[in-house]
Amino acid sequence: MGCIMDEDIAVYAVDYALKLGAQYAEARLHRIEQFKIVSKNGLVISLGRDIYSGIGIRVLANGVLGFSATNILSRDHVKKSVENAYSMAKTHSAIMKKPIVFAPAKVGRASYSVIEKRKSSNISIDEKIKIHLDLWGRISRVALDTKVEILFLEYNEIIEEKVIVNSDGAYIKSYIPRLHMLSNIVVLHPQKGVIQRFEEFGGSGGFELIDEWHIDEILLGEVKKYGEILTNAVEPPREDVPVVIGSEIVGIIVHESCGHPSEADRIIGREAAQAGKSFIKPDMIGYRIGNEHVTVVDDPMIPNSFGFYLYDDEGVPARPKYLYRDGLINEFLHNRWTAHIFGVESNGSARAMNYTSEPIIRMSNTYLKPSDYRFEELIEDIGLGVYIKSYNEWNIDDERWSQRYVGLESYLIEKGEITKYIRNPVLEITTKTFYSSIEAIGRDLRFKPGICGKGEPMQAIPVSFGGPDVRLSKIKLGII
Amino acid sequence: MELDIQELSMRIVNNAIREGFDEAIALVDRKNIAMTKIFNSEISVVQKWHTISVYLYLAKNRRIFITVFELQNLDEINRSIKEILSSVEKIYESTVYAPIPSPKHVEPLNIVDKSLIEFMDNINTLAELVIETGHRENINNIAGTIEIVYREKALSTSTLVSTYEAKTWITTYARAFMDNGSGQWSYTSTKLNTRELEETILIASRYAHENRNKIGIEPGIYDMILSPIVFANLINCVAEMTSAFSLLTGTSMFMNKSMGSDVASSKLSIYDAPRDEDLPNSTGFDDEAIKTFNKPIIDNGVLTTILHNTKTAHIMNADSTGNAGWITPRPWNIMIRGGDISLDEMISEVRRGLFVTNNWYTRLHNYIEGEFSTITRDAAFLIENGKILGSIGRIRIVDKFTNILNNIDMIGKELYKIYWWEVEIPTKSPYILARDIRISST
Repeated sequence: MGCIMDEDIAVYAVDYALKLGAQYAEARLHRIEQFKIVSKNGLVISLGRDIYSGIGIRVLANGVLGFSATNILSRDHVKKSVENAYSMAKTHSAIMKKPIVFAPAKVGRASYSVIEKRKSSNISIDEKIKIHLDLWGRISRVALDTKVEILFLEYNEIIEEKVIVNSDGAYIKSYIPRLHMLSNIVVLHPQKGVIQRFEEFGGSGGFELIDEWHIDEILLGEVKKYGEILTNAVEPPREDVPVVIGSEIVGIIVHESCGHPSEADRIIGREAAQAGKSFIKPDMIGYRIGNEHVTVVDDPMIPNSFGFYLYDDEGVPARPKYLYRDGLINEFLHNRWTAHIFGVESNGSARAMNYTSEPIIRMSNTYLKPSDYRFEELIEDIGLGVYIKSYNEWNIDDERWSQRYVGLESYLIEKGEITKYIRNPVLEITTKTFYSSIEAIGRDLRFKPGICGKGEPMQAIPVSFGGPDVRLSKIKLGII
Repeated sequence: MELDIQELSMRIVNNAIREGFDEAIALVDRKNIAMTKIFNSEISVVQKWHTISVYLYLAKNRRIFITVFELQNLDEINRSIKEILSSVEKIYESTVYAPIPSPKHVEPLNIVDKSLIEFMDNINTLAELVIETGHRENINNIAGTIEIVYREKALSTSTLVSTYEAKTWITTYARAFMDNGSGQWSYTSTKLNTRELEETILIASRYAHENRNKIGIEPGIYDMILSPIVFANLINCVAEMTSAFSLLTGTSMFMNKSMGSDVASSKLSIYDAPRDEDLPNSTGFDDEAIKTFNKPIIDNGVLTTILHNTKTAHIMNADSTGNAGWITPRPWNIMIRGGDISLDEMISEVRRGLFVTNNWYTRLHNYIEGEFSTITRDAAFLIENGKILGSIGRIRIVDKFTNILNNIDMIGKELYKIYWWEVEIPTKSPYILARDIRISST
């Protein structure tokens, strides 16, 4: 772990806030360093190096939460920041009807790091640029009726270091390196149109992730498929049919329709004017949302995951959270404030984007628990059906009930076998219908990374979402 | 003593050139921000920030390096400059390289309302105003955000420009709840006007009341009145697609359109408006120190401007439009030219249609085709024979931007200053009526 932050200033901030009269104080030294290469069609556009380093201070005073942040870490400025958080909280106390209280928590004192097997910063820039060149070299040489017009590629190394100190005894140091790649591919057929799609790769660890991702094989395969979809795809069936949903879509569905509505701050209305509320109401623990096959877990502790952490930003130990269990709403995502409101313990879900951000309730790695079906077994009994493997457009309403996913790589299933590509099938479905329609669940759990947005100011944090392939009972698909 | 950020920007540029870079630009951005966040008519958190960001553009032998530093330590910035220089020969030439410009005259646009700065320490009084105004309208509760910003930026370049600009702004948006109804509205300004702030809450509260008893509607094609918030959200997407970088990277529906193409109804004109002094992103100079100017992006339905910095202009054989971003040109503020009709008159022109006041989660299936969907939230209404028949629940608009733009039939005369979670570019936006818009579900 690096030693780049003056930990004493965090301790000072907490002590000073308590001296002013705060009931609770927390200081987080938070540094994010990024290195980025951006290219188009293999040619470098620019390189970048960003450092965001500062202190976020949060106090509870007279039942109001005050937060302040600065990247000027002199004692005078930090002192002023503490005073800002404290005085802002005090002046707003007259407006509060129900004071904010934190539930007791067994906060940690620990230090942990994610190991880079190949340290990204030790890899030459040449080798990193070569990824861009080689990828374009291979993709642009694919013989197709279509043309690969654009390969936009962004390579991003991120190192996140934190020291979290609070007045309840937490003292957590962490070092998490991440790697993230984003591509935008445009494939053009002069008569049949154009397909454009973003693809992401991400995880925590070092440069070894590049080898594990097999980016070139995946993107090469994608490009070939886009060409075939443009030239060969047919319309999806208009009648109700069984639909097999690929793990990529299952992952985004559980993120949107289980993870987000299970955030306790959303359930009590804290995000009402921004990301919205939740169809889940405070008294719905035990409510049946799907059939017995359905268990959705949010687990920050998955090694090398994009949403990895071992302690949250309130110093609470992380653990897997079973949000839906056997088809029932089972547990919400909590921080210490909502834990007090609901009379439970925090399950360690408070995360902050960077030093300018207050910790709020977030997901980490959210997935549908796999079962034991092989893919062939999922489709073998289907006379006429559809397999939607990947998607482009998606959205969900602000209570997380009505959602839409437009398929990209999608197939017709006939007599238990995949036969033709189909074009842009639309799955529009309510949360309860989706979880109640799952007939069979595959055994291969796969994850995709994502950057999830929430809060005001907006906080974009790394997460992942996953699941196996699943088969849904007959439903009607739309057409774009 | 407060740091002189203009002097800092000059020192960083001079140091970069002394170390051996051919070109350098340093943009130093100091922000003081206060924010109060409200939910259930109470305070969820109060926040204050004091940050200094250094954005640095470096070039040597046509290689480009761009960095952002949010740290106090100038030594670390200087160390980074040395590290970058040591690796610069290993970097490939940038495919978008063009020399940074040497503008002769830079014209800062300073818009500072001192009363806004003073209100940073009394933002609780504005929070009370928001809550009390809502409650006077007999709503159940209100949620929202009040933000006050004092921003200074200093820009120095190795082409001997050094300049400074300061401004203030306030942004408020509020969502009022009444039984099963809700209404949301948004407001922004570079100057404090508590009457406009109250008006924002009154509109949100009124819509919450009017939206309580919902009737069902069928999916299909409808004429549709879009509120200033909804239209601003959609036009933000359209305006971003006029950035040359979007064209170059395959995220624009204007990729295959030439200048002068008809892309919208002749009634529609959209401006990039950096000189609009009401809106937060107003500025006198862009990130390359080029003087900004207001210009139509779409003028009477015709694609008129692709937004450029020096680099994209060089590639596409055009002139900079004063919209740098060093790599990515972007709109500053958006202004939609108002029409000559009131909302009531607009409603009276609809035989069978819908009126939606807020939306979120706009996503594209294909940027080049402009296919998208978005979901409404808060108040929405069914209109028949020129009258509002009742309120409706959420709907999903599923269409193409080209269709929406081409089918605009009427534009309201009043413009609203919109800036919130789903409208990230400050926008002056009217009510509009678009014909034959598709909704997929309710």
